[in-house]
Amino acid sequence: MAQISFISVALKNLKRKTFRTGVLVFAIALLVSLLIFAISFTVSVASSLKKSSERLGADLVVVPVGARGFAEEFLLESKNTSFYMPFSIIEKVRKIEGIEALTYHTYLSSISGLCCDIMPTRIVAYNPETDFIINPWLQKSLGRPLQLGEAIAGFGTSENLGLGLLDIEATIFNNRFKIVGVLEQTGTGLDHALFMTEENLQNIIESGKSPLKKGQISIIFTKLKKGLDPDFVGRILEGEIPEVDVVARSDMGEKFISTLADINKIFLLTTILASVLTTFLVWAIFSAIANERSKEIGIMRALGAKESHIVRLYLIEVLVLGLLGSIIGVLAGTYLSALLAGSFSLLKNISAGLTVNQQAVIAMVGLLVGTTICVTGAMMPINRIKKMEPLLVIKEE
Amino acid sequence: MFLHIENLTKIYTVDHETLVGVDNISLSIDRGEFLSIVGHSGSGKTTLVSIIGGILKPTAGRVLLEGVDICTLDDSKLSEYRANRIGFMFQFASLLPILTAKENVLLPGIFNPGPKTDKDKIARDLLEMVGIGEKLDSYPSQLSGGQQRRVAIARALLNKPDIILADEPTGDLDEETEAEIMHLLQEINKTQGVTIILITHNLGLAGKAQKQYRMSRGQLADI
Ligand SMILES: Nc1ncnc2c1ncn2[C@@H]1O[C@H](COP(=O)(O)OP(=O)(O)OP(=O)(O)O)[C@@H](O)[C@H]1O
Ligand SMILES: [Mg+2]
Repeated sequence: MAQISFISVALKNLKRKTFRTGVLVFAIALLVSLLIFAISFTVSVASSLKKSSERLGADLVVVPVGARGFAEEFLLESKNTSFYMPFSIIEKVRKIEGIEALTYHTYLSSISGLCCDIMPTRIVAYNPETDFIINPWLQKSLGRPLQLGEAIAGFGTSENLGLGLLDIEATIFNNRFKIVGVLEQTGTGLDHALFMTEENLQNIIESGKSPLKKGQISIIFTKLKKGLDPDFVGRILEGEIPEVDVVARSDMGEKFISTLADINKIFLLTTILASVLTTFLVWAIFSAIANERSKEIGIMRALGAKESHIVRLYLIEVLVLGLLGSIIGVLAGTYLSALLAGSFSLLKNISAGLTVNQQAVIAMVGLLVGTTICVTGAMMPINRIKKMEPLLVIKEE
Repeated sequence: MFLHIENLTKIYTVDHETLVGVDNISLSIDRGEFLSIVGHSGSGKTTLVSIIGGILKPTAGRVLLEGVDICTLDDSKLSEYRANRIGFMFQFASLLPILTAKENVLLPGIFNPGPKTDKDKIARDLLEMVGIGEKLDSYPSQLSGGQQRRVAIARALLNKPDIILADEPTGDLDEETEAEIMHLLQEINKTQGVTIILITHNLGLAGKAQKQYRMSRGQLADI
């Protein structure tokens, strides 16, 4: 049989009261899973917002005044809203110093009923000559531009429309469209739209079934010359053209970010409370352990154990406890996050999902916090007991 | 001089009342000596050997081992002193309940990073020597009081101490076993030159020591 060591003695100590050990592991697991869930939620929302706004590839987004919120909902969250401004705004925007390129979209909501034979869908009409948003996506999926009477479905739309098969015909505002394909997932709200070129709009307007009027557009995307500060240009734009609101890329999803900040505060408060509670629990349990084993500690001291040996022995015990609880917590928290992701509207509409790297970092944070709390709670009682004079504790019954 | 005790005093304070446990004791002990201490219950015997063994701080006085005052050592050095120099046989039950007999004997080894000898074999031999070689893997709760004492004696010998402090090591053993253990201590004293301080109530055993002392009210006297 192997010789005894600090580790083997610590492990034997751990097995002494399995129920108590279990309670402690459970408490730590609970705390860590809460932490993991909170961080996963926040990080996935924040990073998918960032990803979406980067995917759009525009520095500034120009929308009718008051439609800033709608635009964000449309672009990031895939809500079905429409908003319009006159075509003439484009020329005004183009004149602003610093604008390098611009393109525009017109948005439409299809309605179920007489005019259309598909589920209500968001329709994006774009200008194929100036476009720098849809064209790159199209290039990948279809390899050619869209023709008149053709439409391509966003990644998410294909499920909603029951597509998946190509070459399906659809009637939209009394016009027949051939759905020629499905775009790759972009992670933006546009994943839930149906795309067509703007030349189709003429026929749709003539059908008289849509709310759209001639010469209306919804949104202008601009790229700025290198080195310009988007916020600065944005302010000039809003100053020169009172009919528009401007959203800089870094401000996209501001509405979410502020909601997110509130949620974070709640998470933070809950996590702090849970941490304090768990630390207290560990402290209480290790105080009991220290009292129960004070005689044994005294004997070990008499046999030559240094204070640091006693600390080492109990540190191993605490670390095993903390790591065990944290690992269970990380697994449970990760599973919980994945499970609950679908039931949060904030996550449902944005394409959430963490990269493996992000998950690894979050797991490490969970492990670290769980173990640190365990060690913090246990060290006080252990430090007290190691200081006592050996004889006096040995004589205690 | 090997071990020199100088004006050693221990005063216990409990709730503002003071009690003299050890009263100004001076004593010199040569290496390899075997001495016995008898005395009434409460006369201060355990207090005295605990101070010598470095598990209790004296109120005044010094304990010099080869000229070094152990009472001034820091925790680390004092622990090393206990681990390398001292073998304790306690008056009280002192085995760890979670460890088997053999593991209990091996326990002082993890605090003493000495030469990498085969401690496992030494532990087995020691338990054999104290007569419970067949109980290696028994836990203290599965051993009789006398068997537990033997384990504690074996444990005190593991690190080959210079001084054995035996505080009534045969307290609850039958006469025959008591004699055996005494014989064992004498053996160790003779063959390995280990210094032994034996506390006992058995005057017959005490008489076998080279030097005999009696304690009374914290003071030490020759017999
Ligand atoms: N921790 C303590 N606090 C207060 N008084 C103590 C303490 N330990 C011992 N004493 C007192 O010190 C005196 C000496 O105690 P000690 O244990 O040294 O006696 P002893 O000679 O070993 O007795 P016994 O033969 O019963 O073991 C006793 O009067 C005892 O009450
Ligand atoms: Mg005593």
